[in-house]
Amino acid sequence: MTSAAFAVFSAAAIWTGWRVFRTDSMVRASFLLLASFLNVGALCVLLLAEYLGTALLFMMTVEMVVMALFMVMFMMNPAGLNPMNMVHQPRFAIGAGVVATLGLGGVAVAGAFPDAPAAPIPATIRALGSELLGDSMLVFETAGVTLVATMVCAVMLSSARGRYGDDDGGSVAPPLEPDGDHRPEDDLVDDGGGHGHMHHGGH
Amino acid sequence: MDAVTVGTGPAVVLIASVLAIGAYLVAVVDRVLFALVAGRPVLWSVVTGPAREAAAVARRQPVTTEAPDRILWVMAPAAYAGLAAMALSVVPLGPGLAVADVRTGIVVFGAAEALAIVAIFLHGWAPNSALPLVAGYRFVGVALSYELLSMFVLIAAALPAESLSIGAIVASQEPVWNVVRQPLGLPLFLIVTAGVTFTGPLAIVDSPDLAGGGAAEDSGVVRLAWVGARAAMLVAFSAAAAAVFLGGWLGPVLPPIVWMALKTAAVAVTVLASRHLLARVSPERFVHIAWTVLLPLAFADLAIAGVVSL
Repeated sequence: MTSAAFAVFSAAAIWTGWRVFRTDSMVRASFLLLASFLNVGALCVLLLAEYLGTALLFMMTVEMVVMALFMVMFMMNPAGLNPMNMVHQPRFAIGAGVVATLGLGGVAVAGAFPDAPAAPIPATIRALGSELLGDSMLVFETAGVTLVATMVCAVMLSSARGRYGDDDGGSVAPPLEPDGDHRPEDDLVDDGGGHGHMHHGGH
Repeated sequence: MDAVTVGTGPAVVLIASVLAIGAYLVAVVDRVLFALVAGRPVLWSVVTGPAREAAAVARRQPVTTEAPDRILWVMAPAAYAGLAAMALSVVPLGPGLAVADVRTGIVVFGAAEALAIVAIFLHGWAPNSALPLVAGYRFVGVALSYELLSMFVLIAAALPAESLSIGAIVASQEPVWNVVRQPLGLPLFLIVTAGVTFTGPLAIVDSPDLAGGGAAEDSGVVRLAWVGARAAMLVAFSAAAAAVFLGGWLGPVLPPIVWMALKTAAVAVTVLASRHLLARVSPERFVHIAWTVLLPLAFADLAIAGVVSL
């Protein structure tokens, strides 16, 4: 039963992973990638990495939603519905993929791995680590630092107000005709009757 | 896995019947609340009304758009209903009465909640139509700003239990319910519930200002499935709120399952009442409030839970 489930989830993960590159829209590609990750999460649960597997489900979900949103936002294909090619430099990518697979696979199959046990950890450090986070110490430490850095950067990048004032302060609408005059009443942002332009900081 | 006490066959029947009966009751309660708020008499027809309306919607001619993503359009309500089932499956309805009271119950619930964002987004994206598309993107912007709240308040509830299993969280509330020792948790979770089921102040997805938004192009059985799945999701979230914050099946005199049903109903009625009593908040304003006010409150909730548990 477990072996059958393992085979099904593995096949589904590989198939959806392949479909990512065969589909024609950013949104479909993102959510096919998500489907692939969900299957990998199920594999983790089957391997009794229960927390890691279930955490993968929601972490990858939010991640792929963010990715779909941002990719579509910065693409020329605003809705993510028009057909577009999902593959870049396919020949080089195929070559690199084959070489990498053969190389890593060769190392895994034929390589002689060192068998030098690490120096024993002092008992107090081990006890402190176990007390804090149990077996999941390394996972939590790495994920925690990465997540905090990501959150800080995301808030900084997405904040509409920076240290130099509103980021759309002084924004002006383009003229209606080519080489025409900008009309102040078309300003995108009303920041105080037109007196505030170009006066954010800088003095 | 801890106690998995319901077999596969009975589990499917249990989850399906709780969600189906619960979803119907949601529709009935919604009509009762509407009549009360509008000052109209509550007639007997509120009980049969949803069935008649569902039959009418299902019989209506299906209409489609130009070049939609048909598979995703049909899959979205199914996925949303399936996620309601997944969320409910980890919530114990009575002592030992859970489909899968797994050790990582809270995380599974959070995963169902996160995946619901995908289902709701794709439901708006799939018809290849402007207003549903706007609704889908608008929802993602709002959902990303309340998703963290849910994680923080659920983890805070798991702290005193020293377990991520929802059964253990209910058991840990024997001396005092989480709603008392973590007073911020339930209100924040109700906001998340309103968001995931787009009800009340957070009814910003399928909203009238977008001519029905994500559901604007739905017709026939797909529309019925979407409305039903949404009510089922409200049932699942209400049951989780009752278990995590209101002590679940704990209570004197009455049988445990009755307490659980009463508390679930109380949460569902509160959320449904917000639909008739509170104005819809604008998405921009909500995103601002979520990041600047609600998220710090969720941090505070986690801090309070930590200090109390020490």
